[in-house]
Amino acid sequence: MRDDPIAKVLDDLLKFDDILACMVARRNMISVMPSDGTDSFKPEVIQIWDEVKRAMEAMFSGINECRNIGKIDFEVYDYNALMYVFPDTDTAIVAIVPSLANKGLIDVELERARKKIQKIREDEEKNR
Amino acid sequence: MKRKIGKLLSVLDLIMVEETVFSHQIHTHKKDITNLGKAKPSVEASIGVSEKWDAREAGREVAETAIQSLTRPPDFFLLFSTIHYEKYGGFQELLKGVWEVLPKKTPLVGGTVVGFLNNYDVYTRGATALAVSYPNMDVAIGVTHNIKRKPKRSAKQNAKMIEKKLAHSTYKNKFLLNFISGAKVMKIPGQGYRKVIDSGLSSRFVTIFFGLSQYLLQKGPGREDEFFEEIIKKIPNYSMILGTSVDDYKGIRNYQFFDTTISTDSAVSLGLASDLNVDTYTTHGMKTTNIKFKITKLSRDGHIIQKINDQPAVKTLLKLLDWPEGYLNEKTMFHRILYYPISLHRHGREVPVVMPFILKDAIVTPCLVDKSEVSILTVSGKDLINSIEKNINHFDNIQPEFGLFSTCGTILQTLGYKTDLVRKTILEYFKEKPFIMFFCAGEGSYSPINNIHYANMSFNSAVFGH
Repeated sequence: MRDDPIAKVLDDLLKFDDILACMVARRNMISVMPSDGTDSFKPEVIQIWDEVKRAMEAMFSGINECRNIGKIDFEVYDYNALMYVFPDTDTAIVAIVPSLANKGLIDVELERARKKIQKIREDEEKNR
Repeated sequence: MKRKIGKLLSVLDLIMVEETVFSHQIHTHKKDITNLGKAKPSVEASIGVSEKWDAREAGREVAETAIQSLTRPPDFFLLFSTIHYEKYGGFQELLKGVWEVLPKKTPLVGGTVVGFLNNYDVYTRGATALAVSYPNMDVAIGVTHNIKRKPKRSAKQNAKMIEKKLAHSTYKNKFLLNFISGAKVMKIPGQGYRKVIDSGLSSRFVTIFFGLSQYLLQKGPGREDEFFEEIIKKIPNYSMILGTSVDDYKGIRNYQFFDTTISTDSAVSLGLASDLNVDTYTTHGMKTTNIKFKITKLSRDGHIIQKINDQPAVKTLLKLLDWPEGYLNEKTMFHRILYYPISLHRHGREVPVVMPFILKDAIVTPCLVDKSEVSILTVSGKDLINSIEKNINHFDNIQPEFGLFSTCGTILQTLGYKTDLVRKTILEYFKEKPFIMFFCAGEGSYSPINNIHYANMSFNSAVFGH
């Protein structure tokens, strides 16, 4: 994981105070975690993790059904899970943020992360 | 007692309002004369950007990328950064990094912003810079401190610093960027930093200590509007844009950059006199609705609307908007209130603003307002995009060389990454010519022709060209 360029993009996201956890995931599978696994997740995520995971699975079913979904934002207690789907895939960046976070500013960073990961995946595809 | 404290502070103030003059006339009168009859020199302008987390490395990279394509040393360097470097090395390190690369004595001003966009992308983290080299241009920079305590005095001093160097410039087209420490939220005992205060006791505390907090602690509105009005009075022949320095929209801290120093509660200015055409312009996408009310009671300092239509302000506002009590709370405040700005008035001109703080019975305004009739406005994402198109169309007759935009951070917050549509609109006009839009919280423009505009949720542009 340590040299995975996608994990490094996730590491950068976790440096934002308001991003409590993030990963690249698809239905029933977390594809990429930050370099330190869940160690760098902020502790408050643990208490809502099971609920978020269940809701995420339901959302991924929707993503599988309808490939035109770009973003999903859902609230669990005082937190929001933001899912940014990679175009034409069933995979998304998922970030968990406090409900009071400035989501407009986070949107800019998550979109830029989506672009960066997209580019890494395309480059990997080319080199295969 | 209060009067005694006031007197003591006034004396202290005389000592504390520091004045730093640091101006540069890189190209002298003599050099100008030798250029007569020769072809007009080219403008070299370039954008730097860094997304590195480490402050020192980011400083180095933003300077390197800004000056690498210039063939001459820059005549000024504008630097904007997000607040994140406070935790990743600090702003002094950011500046050290910049000065490892930037030629010594280059005039540098800037500060922290919510985010920025430039030719390349939209950012809510990182640093960006505009470096410009142009022989037919004189440059002056200035800084004054304790802006929230004495905004008018600060403006007078700043005007003096700029004029000291540019008053006798042979170049007639003058421009001034005013970049001022923005609003800082008061910390409410037992509640912390809040935008909606629903407790009566805390609201009374805010109302009573509002002016004192501004004076003593420099917490409260930025008072950039008062600074702006005053500096325009002093040097009305300059075209200007106004921007404020903020953090990531929490309104807790902000920093201004001047040469090698970092400060807060300061106003930094960049004055230019050149033979380039310069024009400034303001647009906003807000539309009036038929919901109107009258401010009938204002606090003495003109910042808190206490009664509208002779009734408690907040209750009446909610009734007018048909919103239930409690509809505006800390969680919903920005999603709801952002789309309902209000059109206030100041000296007969319209001042559209977003309501930044709601108390139990009163509404805090970000700038000085008069008792007058107010309209509720409304704005959508589409209106904002139309507004930047209208703004850019204003400059149809200028072939741009570089541009600066000071824009409300609420636009970035509202549009999120869709702000890229704003960037694409500007890019279509500027093409490969550099531009920076920085996002702040309190902005405006002035030109001797278009007069003063101070508006929230607005785009304020300065375009330099032929």
